[in-house]
Amino acid sequence: MRQLLKGNYAVAEGARLCRVKVVSVYPITPQTTIVERLSEICASGELDAKFIKVESEHSAMATLVGASSAGVRAFTATSSNGLLLMHEVLHWVAGARLPIVMTNVNRAVSGGWNIWADQTDSISQRDTGWLQIYCESSQEVLDSVIMAYRLAEKILMPVMLTYDAFFLSHTTEVVDVPDIELVDEFLPPYQPEFKLDIDNPRMFGGLMSPDYFYEHRYTVHKASQEALEYYPEVCREFRDIFGRDYDITEEYRTDGAEVIVVTTGTITSVVRITVDKMREAGRKVGLMKLRMFRPVPVDRWRSILGNVAKVVVIDRNLSPGLGGVFADEVQAALYSLENRPSIYPVVAGLGGRDVTPADIEGIINHALSSDDPAGVPLFWGLKE
Amino acid sequence: MERTTQRMIEIPRDVMTGEELWQPGVLSCQGCGGSLAMKLALKGLGRRTVIVLPACCMSIIVGAYPYSTSQVPLLHVPFETAAAGASGVRAALDIRGEEDVVVMAWAGDGGTFDIGLQALSGAAERNEDILYVCYDNEAYMNTGIQRSGATPAGAWTTTTPDKAVKEESKKDIERIMLSHDIPYMATASVAYPADIYAKFKKIRSIKGTKFIHILSPCPPGWQIDSADSIKVSRMATQSNVFPIYEVENGKYTINVYPEKEVTVKEYMKTQGRFRYITDDAVNAAQEWTDRKWEKLKGMLK
Amino acid sequence: MAVKKRSDLGVIYEFKTWRDITPMNTSAGTMLHNKTGSWRTIKPVFENKTPACQNSCPAGNDIEGWIKLLQQGEYEKAYWHLKREEPFPSVLGRVCFRFCEEACNRIPFDDCVGISALERFIGDRDASLVPHPDLPEYNGKSMAVVGSGPAGMSAAYFGRLLGFRVAIFEKLQVMGGVLRVGIPEYRLPRDIIAAEFEGLAAMGIELRPGTAIGKDISLEELTGRYDYIFLATGAHGSRKLDIDGEDESRRIMSGLEMLRKVSLGEDVACGKKVAVIGGGNTAIDVARTALRMGSAVTVIYRRSEDEMPANPEEVLEAREEGARFRFLAAPERIELNDDGSIKKLICCEMELAPADESGRIRPAKKDGALFDVETDSILTSIGEVPILDYLKGIAGNEKDVVAVDGTLMVNTGGNGKIFAGGDIIDIQRTVVNAVASGKKAAIAIDCDYRSADFGDVLKEISIGNGSALSFSRYMNWNPETPQNIHMVVDSEKIVYDYFEKAPRVMQKTGDAETRKNSFNAYRETFTEDEAQQEASRCMHCGRCIECDNCLIFCPDMSVLPEGDGQFGYEFDYDYCKGCGICFTECPRHAITMVSEEEGDK
Ligand SMILES: Cc1cc2nc3c(=O)[nH]c(=O)nc-3n(C[C@H](O)[C@H](O)[C@H](O)COP(=O)(O)OP(=O)(O)OC[C@H]3O[C@@H](n4cnc5c(N)ncnc54)[C@H](O)[C@@H]3O)c2cc1C
Ligand SMILES: Cc1ncc(C[n+]2csc(CCOP(=O)(O)OP(=O)(O)O)c2C)c(N)n1
Ligand code: SF4
Ligand code: SF4
Ligand code: SF4
Ligand SMILES: [Mg+2]
Repeated sequence: MRQLLKGNYAVAEGARLCRVKVVSVYPITPQTTIVERLSEICASGELDAKFIKVESEHSAMATLVGASSAGVRAFTATSSNGLLLMHEVLHWVAGARLPIVMTNVNRAVSGGWNIWADQTDSISQRDTGWLQIYCESSQEVLDSVIMAYRLAEKILMPVMLTYDAFFLSHTTEVVDVPDIELVDEFLPPYQPEFKLDIDNPRMFGGLMSPDYFYEHRYTVHKASQEALEYYPEVCREFRDIFGRDYDITEEYRTDGAEVIVVTTGTITSVVRITVDKMREAGRKVGLMKLRMFRPVPVDRWRSILGNVAKVVVIDRNLSPGLGGVFADEVQAALYSLENRPSIYPVVAGLGGRDVTPADIEGIINHALSSDDPAGVPLFWGLKE
Repeated sequence: MERTTQRMIEIPRDVMTGEELWQPGVLSCQGCGGSLAMKLALKGLGRRTVIVLPACCMSIIVGAYPYSTSQVPLLHVPFETAAAGASGVRAALDIRGEEDVVVMAWAGDGGTFDIGLQALSGAAERNEDILYVCYDNEAYMNTGIQRSGATPAGAWTTTTPDKAVKEESKKDIERIMLSHDIPYMATASVAYPADIYAKFKKIRSIKGTKFIHILSPCPPGWQIDSADSIKVSRMATQSNVFPIYEVENGKYTINVYPEKEVTVKEYMKTQGRFRYITDDAVNAAQEWTDRKWEKLKGMLK
Repeated sequence: MAVKKRSDLGVIYEFKTWRDITPMNTSAGTMLHNKTGSWRTIKPVFENKTPACQNSCPAGNDIEGWIKLLQQGEYEKAYWHLKREEPFPSVLGRVCFRFCEEACNRIPFDDCVGISALERFIGDRDASLVPHPDLPEYNGKSMAVVGSGPAGMSAAYFGRLLGFRVAIFEKLQVMGGVLRVGIPEYRLPRDIIAAEFEGLAAMGIELRPGTAIGKDISLEELTGRYDYIFLATGAHGSRKLDIDGEDESRRIMSGLEMLRKVSLGEDVACGKKVAVIGGGNTAIDVARTALRMGSAVTVIYRRSEDEMPANPEEVLEAREEGARFRFLAAPERIELNDDGSIKKLICCEMELAPADESGRIRPAKKDGALFDVETDSILTSIGEVPILDYLKGIAGNEKDVVAVDGTLMVNTGGNGKIFAGGDIIDIQRTVVNAVASGKKAAIAIDCDYRSADFGDVLKEISIGNGSALSFSRYMNWNPETPQNIHMVVDSEKIVYDYFEKAPRVMQKTGDAETRKNSFNAYRETFTEDEAQQEASRCMHCGRCIECDNCLIFCPDMSVLPEGDGQFGYEFDYDYCKGCGICFTECPRHAITMVSEEEGDK
């Protein structure tokens, strides 16, 4: 059924369709409307779940550790400082191989309060072990929630979906909300091999000596990498049932491109329009939409970007002292290629600063015309 | 006032000799009160129990991967998340239709009085149907004896060294918990095992948040001989430093009126950790203890 | 060993590659592979010990042992258990001075256990009518016992239990020694004594009343007829006052003689006013007997009441019955009437000098402080002495007593194997000491017969730090309990926190008025309820009673109950870390810590 939905409501719908059993969420702008919506649908019975109204994000994630270990599907949503407060538990969840799904509204990280779009929050969780998938539209967010549980429960890894504050969280779009029966077909109930079980008492998360810990960490790494094989399968099945196509990484008009712009989140839509416009003008530009950031789909990136002369990576995040993190990782992925492209790292739109088609065109032109050695971040739009 | 001494034969024989849910081979120090408290608690609770365990000595005692001494399911969680973790397990078990399974968060004093207090307060305020147990060895023992909010005034720890032993009194966790209006709050001590057994048996039939605070001696941390750990704990109660009582829906009952009375000084004398205390501080501790005891007795009316 | 080998259940998880990491990296199983027993430097062992009461009983009565059986309602078993160390519970339950109670570990807590009353309760249940369960075949050797007092009775009893054919020779027509002709009937009814002799006879012991050694049969003859002789002829001569007028008066009699006459039903005329001289138990018995015969009695004693050797309880009862006491007074001389009756007794006031090196306070006369005591007759009880004429030519004697060696043997210069005990040797003169000496002599005789070294045996069977010997240990009865009878559990080793205060149950006692009008016994044996109630006060010092404390408190789940209905526990040394909590928390010190290396304490 097609509905007009804000991004946050699409998330709540996603959780409902997945029949999550335990929800534990703590409010933070711009995620708050998810909490509100989930409260309503839990109260009305539309969603038959336990909603634990915790006293912090740290506890939100910790309750899900309990719930998920006890073998039920668990969900939470957060943003920015909330995500950072969870940090310790995020590591725990991945190490414990708990298939929790969380949506994070990308918001700038304080000090100096800022509630607007910026990916530094989720980027700074990249080593927790959580899978990260960056979304561009409300539809994608909703669909991704459903696919995330399929993926997470198969490989026993937690999945974080992110999308931009306000640009998506609070923007109303037309969203096709699938029938719950179809979702049931796609996503069977969660039935883990091991859970907290009186009849099969096991201990979860015990102390691991150096004799085991290294191998344990390796299994976490292996599990994460399994996503690269399994997620395309999930996407295919999803397409067969729901008719919408997703992938680990998506290409747009990259044929014969001289320059490919790599983006995430809502900036992707701006780039897409700009690419269309520039292609019409005969310019050889393309787009690579980076969805899955953890695990890193190195092979996909290489196959898309390996034959192009120049790559622009736009980062709406900043690792001070380095620059944008996506650019850094893309460079690292391509470095061992013999004909590696020149890479132009661009930082733009921090803290919700608007990034317009004109900005994108400017950035592309800069890259095309520049003979600068690649690799030095360009702070686009910085008031100098 | 009814006087109670301890006649330890009150734990039924078949329970004591029956199924051991806490098996030997545990990694506790000699004479550890924590391991003993857990063994006794499980005697009262029985098999249909899930343990949620944050960082503390017990997370070591229970055994290391891939082994576990616990014969009931056990979930390790981060240091400050015992109550939250337990809330989550509770929710999941309710969904699974296993409402009768007791979810027991088992945390140290550090995990309770200090770092875990927020999550605990949250869970208690929501009146989660969980049992929260604080086994209190009065310092951060796992990390090597650092002061906690539960460390008594006058005690040496590695962060309150000989020239600056702890000045502040122990935090009144019972009052904090009672201010949440939880249905059941109790203190207990490994020196009174039958009382522990009875309390853990009782909580099975109480819905909502149950809090049990168990004094649990730590020979290395208290600097006592391992053989004396029960004796010293008993003196804590005999001196009223650690009274044994319970509050059920607001109604106070003192469970142990020790027949023998001991001064705070005598109690402190038994432990190396108090060897730097000044006479003034001993007197202050005695006053503090008397005041609290009088107040407690006042609550009976 | 009933230990279930739990360590066999410990499974080691095979771990070779990262693929062996368990799904969701969960742990399971147990920690049983981790034998924490290796951390131990000292280890606990279950070891029953000697309770303070038993340690103080000269006869080594295993009080705790039979109290436990009594509590189980096993009265007959309790009876026979009691008789393993102390053969005459009905007698000693009445007349013993109760050294055990003085030592009872309950005293610092509330009050001692009424051991003697319980002993009497057990003794009075008439189990003596069934055959003795421990009676052995004869060993082919014989033993003559001279004197049928408690020392002789005891030697005969234990001698018979060791296989000797025994005969008791008694000068008097009645058997029992002081029990029969000294201790008054109101304290020890005659049927009780008779029953004990019935029991001895039933064991096959020959009773020969009316046979005086040295008169009817000579000691030499006896030595020829029997392999072993045990002399226990008691102290039946009385010390004299040694004052003017004593020998001339018809109205001065030894108290002992008076008691004997009363006991044998002979005529005794006491007079209206009687002065009893002395402060011991005999004096009190004499005084109370005189009271019962209608006399007004004044007891005259040299020292003050505090120094009086008589049992305070009896002094109190004598007072209640009307006896008057004059302390710090000693007879100076007697003035007689012409008819030989007493005109007056003149006494001197005494004062107490500071204690001498022996610790005893010496009384001294106050110069010129004389006073008169009006009295018709005087009964002396200032000391009894053995009459040892029959020994002449066989053995020498020091002072008033028979000299014996460490095995109670008399040096006869090769003229037969003669042992001696009871009041004729230098020991405390009480019934229980007499019984103890009889036991010791019987064991010494058996050692001689078996050519065993008595010194070595003594090391094995000495109870606690006192002189008592364990007959059970000598016989190897109860070998299954690991026992350290040499270690005494005194009050310092008791954890009183585990006990509840409880008032002592007293035997019902008749009031003074009825008492003094009759020779009937005035104290009642416990009812079963009373006995049970009083027995429940026993803390079972040093003896495991399966209270479960060690099991409950072990932080390492290393105390395992013996399976199959067997008593007790075992330590699982695979896991016991040797923390010692069981040792400190055993309320009764039934656990000992021993060092791992040396295996000793
Ligand atoms: C009046 C009195 C009251 C006492 N009260 C108590 C009391 O309450 N509690 C207590 O513990 N102690 C009491 N005693 C002490 C106690 O009775 C004696 O210590 C104890 O009886 C000594 O026992 P025995 O076997 O050595 O001698 P006795 O009991 O004196 O027995 C010796 C026996 O040997 C016999 N005999 C003597 N010469 C010969 C011979 N030549 N041939 C054959 N037989 C002979 C005697 O007739 C006598 O029967 C009391 C003593 C007296 C005198
Ligand atoms: C967030 C966090 N901070 C610090 C620690 C380190 N740590 C582990 S256990 C512990 C002390 C535990 O003390 P307590 O709760 O009293 O338990 P005990 O070890 O004394 O039994 C500390 C500080 C941790 N694990 N996590
Ligand atoms: S340090 Fe203390 S609390 Fe920790 S295991 Fe040792 S005795 Fe127990
Ligand atoms: S309490 Fe019992 S075992 Fe202990 S000394 Fe007294 S009578 Fe003997
Ligand atoms: S503690 Fe109790 S059960 Fe254990 S040895 Fe002592 S008496 Fe026996
Ligand atoms: Mg602690």
